[in-house]
Amino acid sequence: MPDRPNALELLEAVREFLADEVLPRQSDQRMKFRTLVALNALGIASRELSAEPRNSLLEGDAELARRIRAGDVPEDAVPRLKEHVAAKLRISNPAYLEKYE
Amino acid sequence: MIPDWLAELGAERAQLLPGGASKEAWAVDVDGQQLLLRRAGGSVIHQGTLTLAQEFEVLRAAHAAGVKVPRPIAYYPELGGREAFAMERVQGETIGRRIVREPPPGLPVQMAEELAKIHAIPRERLPFLVELDPVERMRRELDGVDEPHPAIELGLTWAAERLRRDRAPVVTHGDWRIGNLVVTERGLGHVLDWEFAHVADPAEDVAWPLVRAWRFGADERRLGGVGDVEPYLERYVELTGADVTLDELYVWEVLGNAKWAVGCLTQARRHLDGLDRSVELAVLGRIAAEMEYELLDLIGRA
Repeated sequence: MPDRPNALELLEAVREFLADEVLPRQSDQRMKFRTLVALNALGIASRELSAEPRNSLLEGDAELARRIRAGDVPEDAVPRLKEHVAAKLRISNPAYLEKYE
Repeated sequence: MIPDWLAELGAERAQLLPGGASKEAWAVDVDGQQLLLRRAGGSVIHQGTLTLAQEFEVLRAAHAAGVKVPRPIAYYPELGGREAFAMERVQGETIGRRIVREPPPGLPVQMAEELAKIHAIPRERLPFLVELDPVERMRRELDGVDEPHPAIELGLTWAAERLRRDRAPVVTHGDWRIGNLVVTERGLGHVLDWEFAHVADPAEDVAWPLVRAWRFGADERRLGGVGDVEPYLERYVELTGADVTLDELYVWEVLGNAKWAVGCLTQARRHLDGLDRSVELAVLGRIAAEMEYELLDLIGRA
């Protein structure tokens, strides 16, 4: 075990620094935007570190991708892949899934 | 501070605008003229994009065809060690999020009229433009990413089985969407960003602004967040005589989502491979999943 703060806590410290000290001092629109993108990146990293280990569905990715390209599309491909992509989105952008509810 | 190579042009004022590392954009004033100078950057340019010399030729051809583009001024094979071209610097809004807040009501029909003019540009005038199979091109780019993406593969396979292949190809803009159009309160001002021009089925351009990512949050307006698809398609068909249908646009919309997903992945690779280090490009690698979900949803509802 590493000493505290652990990886998640370090990300949180950097997030707070960017949000509370760097962002309010940006007058340039471009820098403001880039700071928000950086905050988004930290959010993704935090959610990934706190998430359950990737489930087994994801391990057959390469084989499934090859089958589909060859035109051999499994009958349940759409619901199966939706679940797989939704799992990625719960880490990268949970709010995005709300558009589909 | 004006660099020497711009001072030699007689620049009175010059400002480097924020943008990508592969191509620079400078706002330059020369003899009271307001110019925009595009110049090669230090980094390797994206695969599948035109050189600045070619982009300038496309701009000239579009201008000659009566398309609303910034007036092309001059091409410079060597400006401070790199190629560049100058065009008129135009005024108006290009930020998608701001345009969709209050889009001018005439914009969809104006988009159709401009696109019809683009698709009438004589192909012989631009012999360097290549014709590419859209599905094969994306599969090749996806292979370059070297990471399995079964959802994108499904989008490509699904679309490949449904695409028409019998329509005569035309000169296409290649990135026809809100964000690459200058919009004023009167509507469409100018068409920008010609570096992805190629030869393809015109339906590819027609459908590209329908992709959800290019609605900039205004999801209920399917045409680029600015309006309905029907009046846009009707006007386009009326002007060109091309028998593009709504069903066909749906297939191209699925393909468009696959294309932008692949685009995000390849841009993230530019960061990972050290060609263009940037947190914005890095994050795109994780945004691709949004297009994957959208294309699965479209296929599920077809």
